[in-house]
Amino acid sequence: MEEQIAELTARLAELEAASGGGSVTNTMFAETFYYLSIPLMIIIHAGFLAYEMGASRLKNVLSSGVKNILAFAFMIPTFYFFGWWVYWGFPTGIPGDPGPAGISGIEYANAIAWGWGESAQYMGPNIADQASGVFFGAFALFAATTASIMSGAVIERIQTVGFIILAVVLGSFAWVVAAAWGWHADGWLVTQWGVHDFGAAGLVHAVAGFFALGVLINLGPRIGKFNSDGSANHIPGHNMPLTVTGLMLIIVGFWGFLMACVIVPGEAWSWYADKPTTIYGTPITLSALSFNILMSIAGGIIGAWIMTRDPFWMMSGALAGIISCASGLDIYYPALAFIIAFSAGVILKPAADALEKMGIDDAVGAVTVHGTIGLYGVVMLGIWGAGFPALQGAAGEAPTISLIGQIVGAVVFFLCGFVPGYVVSLILKMMGMLRIREGAELAGMDVVKVPNAGYPEWGGDAPVTPAE
Amino acid sequence: MFPYAEATWDVVDGAMFMGWGSALPGLTTAIAAIICVVVLVVGQGSETAKAKRFDK
Repeated sequence: MEEQIAELTARLAELEAASGGGSVTNTMFAETFYYLSIPLMIIIHAGFLAYEMGASRLKNVLSSGVKNILAFAFMIPTFYFFGWWVYWGFPTGIPGDPGPAGISGIEYANAIAWGWGESAQYMGPNIADQASGVFFGAFALFAATTASIMSGAVIERIQTVGFIILAVVLGSFAWVVAAAWGWHADGWLVTQWGVHDFGAAGLVHAVAGFFALGVLINLGPRIGKFNSDGSANHIPGHNMPLTVTGLMLIIVGFWGFLMACVIVPGEAWSWYADKPTTIYGTPITLSALSFNILMSIAGGIIGAWIMTRDPFWMMSGALAGIISCASGLDIYYPALAFIIAFSAGVILKPAADALEKMGIDDAVGAVTVHGTIGLYGVVMLGIWGAGFPALQGAAGEAPTISLIGQIVGAVVFFLCGFVPGYVVSLILKMMGMLRIREGAELAGMDVVKVPNAGYPEWGGDAPVTPAE
Repeated sequence: MFPYAEATWDVVDGAMFMGWGSALPGLTTAIAAIICVVVLVVGQGSETAKAKRFDK
């Protein structure tokens, strides 16, 4: 008998050890998962860099690159200084009361997200907290993505410092407010309206796209873009293959962006110990992502091809395809995702043309691809996903997705982007910090801003593109 | 469109996409396939028409 008890005790100890080991493995998986999403999202930035530089004329190619690189560089520290704090501080709105999930509010943010005092322990190396940094990193790269989206729209005529101020307002404040409200278990848009935006179609893409629109209104078009009768001229970039390759790199990086939208098990803040969820605590699988991302890329490309036959718009269609389905990548049926993405690819170019007819010079179509299609995606989920629980919880307690709720979310995301974009760019314009001087724009921004030449064999002031 | 009677994730133990258990998956699959075919037909037609303009 004693022998048997001893054997059982030993077996129990074995099982406990095994269980502990599993927990450690799970924790390491969670940390590695987010850590790997960071370099993948940096590929988004590499893609935007190539995309913008290719879309610029020869005389502006390096200055477009400098602007994009600097946006990334300023986004990381400013998101560290206050962006992370805004996200945790205001999900319930102003004045920042704590929410029901207990992970929000000014007091909570003060305790974990400032780089000084007691909370600094969570904002630096800490053997007892191995996850905050990687989670912060993933969010900081979302911030950098928003700045990159705006960056492409304003190429070839914006001042560097003015642009960086706008990038900081967008990346470390505007989209963060939208994320706190609509991408947090305590967010008022989620708890009160059942807004569901798993892959951030509205709170990243639409916010950034309409922020860019607000800026473009004050910035004005490039010299030569519009004729006196209002008709538009096409200003071709100097390297379409570079632009298209950049767009493909953005697609690669999107896998990192969307994997970082998943809350994996293994951390104290995970919803479950054994299964992944969305940021709302609702279930998701990596299979769902794989099925739906691939089908939406395909649908977007095909829709744009039939309308344009242009590789620029086809790859933009791929982006539009993903963005149009991003809100519901967790619950769409793949064939439905394909159809929605196809429709986004079809409407993409006409929507961009309509914007141009209004006198807006969006050099890369960012307002349309990210803004218009982002809102389209948020609303589409309201049509197809109505009735799905938007948040973890018992029947009757959890809010459900609805068309009205998604429309409310779309309006709020639009305002979160457009209003700060318009107001801050207007202030910069009044201070003379928005647009480069006319002579410099005509000479080319590279000779003004960059002590180097993109293609020295052709000279920094080549009047025509190499292809010509 | 939630494929379960109660609007809670607690009852979900299998397929969790829109239209599960209804005709929607089959219908959307058919529509997606039709879109692919139609796009190819239209694409072929317009490309051929454009190419003919270059006939000598």
